[in-house]
Amino acid sequence: MKQIKRLFRIHRIFVAQELKRMMEYKGDFIVGVIGFLMVQCSNLLFLWIIFNNIPSLMGWSLNEVVFIYGFSLIPKGIDHLFFDNLWAIGHFTVRKGDFDKYLTRPVNTLVHVMFEKLQIDALGELVMGIALVCVSLPQLSIEWSVLKVLLGIAAIFFATFIFTGIKTITAAVAFWSKRSGNIIYMVYMFNDFAKYPVTIYNEFVKNLITYVIPFAFTAYYPALYLLTGENPLYNVGMTVLLSAALMSLGVFVWNRGIRAYESAGS
Amino acid sequence: MKRAFRIYFPFINAGMQETATYRVNWIFYILGSVLGCFVSYFIWHAVFLSGEGETMNGFTLPQMIVYIFLIFLTSTMIGSDAAWAVGEEVRDGSIAMRLIKPVSYNATFLFQELGNKLLTEMFLVVPLIAGLEIVRTILVGSLQFSVVNLLIYLCSCVLAYLINFFFNICFGFIAFVIKYLWGANMMKNCIVGFLSGAIIPLSFLPETLGRIFMILPFASLNYTPVMIYMGVYQGAELLYFLGLQVFWALFFWGLSKLLWVISVKRLSVQGG
Repeated sequence: MKQIKRLFRIHRIFVAQELKRMMEYKGDFIVGVIGFLMVQCSNLLFLWIIFNNIPSLMGWSLNEVVFIYGFSLIPKGIDHLFFDNLWAIGHFTVRKGDFDKYLTRPVNTLVHVMFEKLQIDALGELVMGIALVCVSLPQLSIEWSVLKVLLGIAAIFFATFIFTGIKTITAAVAFWSKRSGNIIYMVYMFNDFAKYPVTIYNEFVKNLITYVIPFAFTAYYPALYLLTGENPLYNVGMTVLLSAALMSLGVFVWNRGIRAYESAGS
Repeated sequence: MKRAFRIYFPFINAGMQETATYRVNWIFYILGSVLGCFVSYFIWHAVFLSGEGETMNGFTLPQMIVYIFLIFLTSTMIGSDAAWAVGEEVRDGSIAMRLIKPVSYNATFLFQELGNKLLTEMFLVVPLIAGLEIVRTILVGSLQFSVVNLLIYLCSCVLAYLINFFFNICFGFIAFVIKYLWGANMMKNCIVGFLSGAIIPLSFLPETLGRIFMILPFASLNYTPVMIYMGVYQGAELLYFLGLQVFWALFFWGLSKLLWVISVKRLSVQGG
């Protein structure tokens, strides 16, 4: 308990530091957030133009697709906001020999890396995701219950750690290869599949994003539960299970990586 | 000419070596990017299944598949990091080093990047075009491939690359105003992506809007080469669009020169 308290305190200090830095460069903050907002807007424009040509996408209405898309951005945005520093590990921290500093600090290395940065740009995604869910909700006839709300929140929480887990595993590859930025990128790109209803894919892709790189559980399956109320045990339960599994695997690979790590540079 | 070659050849060489060193990294990057194409493919596949009729705004499904992958190929081929490179140098002051060397500032970038591209593109163009044509032949039932179109397409890509390169040089000077290049770059890519038809074919847009976009330089980057490959532009139309590409290439070349002169006057490098 005392340790957890300490971690929260450390997190607060890091965040405060980040916020100070951000206030120094207010322009950057605005440019970054607008940038991410624009990327999402162009994707939405794409969906909207497509739906002008067809009545429904294999049975999915525009509102349902927008809901799933919006839902997918929320855990992604949260992970991006808090744990973006893992990208840096894969891209350059290890390669440039800067990782050594983490080893000298009295905090767990993974915790330190995760806490160190706050990626404010992610607010663009997060705000967009929440906005899309809010806009599409009134058009959809969803029956709400207390359980559903709670499971929805739980799904977002655990889905976030599916992202973090996958990022941790792929970032840790850099401990052996010095550089894994584009491996993270490649695996991360599978997430693009998960933003849309998985029924539009063939069996291969469907199985891939459900069982191998289970991004489908960050968006489609939990959103499906919220839309239909069907099968919470699978749709949300698997999100929880996979999230725990991937995060544990992430910690395991990370620790093995630390042991294999040889400092780069001079 | 000979002298210019002797000066700039080492830059081409350096570019090639750079790519060769980080080839694994590059392969993963390409694989990740190709995934995006497959997402588009499945979405369009579903769209065509859900729509009525075989064609949609002038596209059949096999044509749409060709479109998606060619847009990807074209944007990879014409991609330029010039904005990034210029911006970084403006920001950290290493632009000063370029100023004292007796070579053209833009040309060094251009040749280094060409070196990068020579290697990567050979590995990309052949398998992608071959794969695409095999798939198309199976889907349509007959061979649609045209060597002439491919050759004009490659020429058009060279023009598109030059437009993109000089446009990016111009954009790089934005670092004088905006410090956060990563964000600015993302905004630029997003806008260019949309205006160049990379996100959705321009023929899907409302007609007037589509027509305006067609004249803007961005359609020359991606849409024009792809349309040429697909054989949509023929005869006079083809010449018109190629001419437009030449015009925009010259335009951004001139603009980059102008901005360079202005910036050098304004430049104050910190430290040293």
